[in-house]
Amino acid sequence: MKTDPSRTSWPEFQGTVRTTAVVAMVCTALFAAAPVMAETVISGQSDTVMRMGRTNYDGSRNLFPATEYLRLSLVNTDKDGNAISLHIGSWGRVDFGDKSFRDRNVDGDLQYGYLSYQGAKNNFVINAGRQFVTEGVAAQRLDGAYVRSDFAAGFAAAAYVGSPVVTEPNIKADNLVFGGRVTQSNEKYYTLGVSALKSYADSARYREEEGLDIWVRPIKQIDLTGRSSYNSITGGWMEHAYALSYTPLDSLKLNVDMSNINYHDFFYKVTTSALVFNPLTNGIDPNEKVLTFGGSAAYSINSEFTLVGDYKHYKYDVAKSANYFGGKLTYTKPDAYMAGASVHRMDGSIDRLQYSEFRLFASKKMGKLDLTLDVIDLYYDNSRNMYSQHNAITVLTASSYEINESLKIGANVEYSKNPFFNNEVKGLLKLTYLFETKFGAAGGDKK
Amino acid sequence: MINRKRLLILMVPLFASILYACANTASVPRIHPEAVKTMPNCTECHTNSWGALNHKAPDFLLKHKIYAGSRYACATCHQESFCSDCHAHREEIKPSSKYSTSPDRYLPHRGDYLSQHKIDGRVNPASCVACHGRQNNERCKSCHR
Repeated sequence: MKTDPSRTSWPEFQGTVRTTAVVAMVCTALFAAAPVMAETVISGQSDTVMRMGRTNYDGSRNLFPATEYLRLSLVNTDKDGNAISLHIGSWGRVDFGDKSFRDRNVDGDLQYGYLSYQGAKNNFVINAGRQFVTEGVAAQRLDGAYVRSDFAAGFAAAAYVGSPVVTEPNIKADNLVFGGRVTQSNEKYYTLGVSALKSYADSARYREEEGLDIWVRPIKQIDLTGRSSYNSITGGWMEHAYALSYTPLDSLKLNVDMSNINYHDFFYKVTTSALVFNPLTNGIDPNEKVLTFGGSAAYSINSEFTLVGDYKHYKYDVAKSANYFGGKLTYTKPDAYMAGASVHRMDGSIDRLQYSEFRLFASKKMGKLDLTLDVIDLYYDNSRNMYSQHNAITVLTASSYEINESLKIGANVEYSKNPFFNNEVKGLLKLTYLFETKFGAAGGDKK
Repeated sequence: MINRKRLLILMVPLFASILYACANTASVPRIHPEAVKTMPNCTECHTNSWGALNHKAPDFLLKHKIYAGSRYACATCHQESFCSDCHAHREEIKPSSKYSTSPDRYLPHRGDYLSQHKIDGRVNPASCVACHGRQNNERCKSCHR
């Protein structure tokens, strides 16, 4: 399903509801036909979020949107451990004030909704419906089918096909996507993967990407991950991104990472004009290339205090380079208290990339009550690009209270003084309800 | 040449079928045997690759795109909604507002991101793509027309 705000309307939302209803009916029939010697678990979470605030954007003034997030899972497990399940996640919003977004008082979306079969052997999974697929070059939400299984000799394979779930605010997208990934792994030491994705807009080639990914752990102390992806349509490497961590002591972890991104190949066929580059409009060359490298060191002073230092260098082909570095100290006492302070500095060659970032947070748990304070301040050395403002400060106070195991209520108030708003105050109320019901037949494999 | 192509078309499914027939691994448990209530350091129990999934490590976020290639392992603790909180189709509330009582979690766009996005978008626009390249980007149109 694709969404163009200039074309979509209430009937499309109704269509989503209809699709959900059809999926639900099919699933009810399947669950009814499930083996007798089985256990069925129905679980879910409802989050009702009421926001309050004022904004000058899009002509809106007083915003009081109420949003309901509903997540539902039905899992039927047979005595051998095979499971059939249904997973649905959606939200709906009603505005009690001015229209908050997309020029609609009522809106909603199906984030995911799929039927799944998981085998007790070979990590076999087959999904049908709206889902998020992450297989090598693919990080793709689609309406379609996905299957994966382990094979012998450490091999595994995954394949998917469907209609991409995208939004198209500026640029038309594709309407058919398919691909797969083959891996060979040793549970203790490594996983090597080869993946490909291909998509079409009507009958025209739209995206063609191939990739190699690795996850190597030769010894317990070393962990290397990385991916290289290639764009067959533009004929260039999109990205090389690798990260290595070394843990010489339980209390010390060292990390280094590098990435190389070619804008022309990487940003090919994005659907928002914000990511289409033009030196005249957004100051970014479409043929820009960036090489980043950096690292971090995390040292646990004791079981409660951890100190992290990090550094990253950005080297561009066209633009001037920049460095980002800083440190963070955290204090954690599980189920009681946590606090942290961080200072970072962006030191670039242009005015906009010269700023300092400060953060202070603390959270305390007192029985069923949680209290949180979070202060973030950005100080821009030069105010020319920030509407003559040097400072952007946000102070967030939040609290939550656990009424019982199933019910939790929370609220937060956020104050911000920044280049866009002199004094912005936003509030949020949140009610969370968790539920779970089990139906087990005699002899069922209960967990 | 044609014979070689026909042979390949026959051999690949045959090889795959043999590998499938010979496979006999036990699936990762659907639910993690021990309840995990806070961000885990998986090394505390796991001695194989799963031990690398130390959620507290400063580079965990950077590496999670690779770890996500084993989603069946993530699914032992995380619901699908955990992914869609950030990798959403159309989302109207940023994750740091929804989970404001978790200041320790890495959640994108904390604080005044309206000002900051102008900088991040220039420094490393590739970091926007995973969540906003082809979905959840309607808000961009408010200014980037």
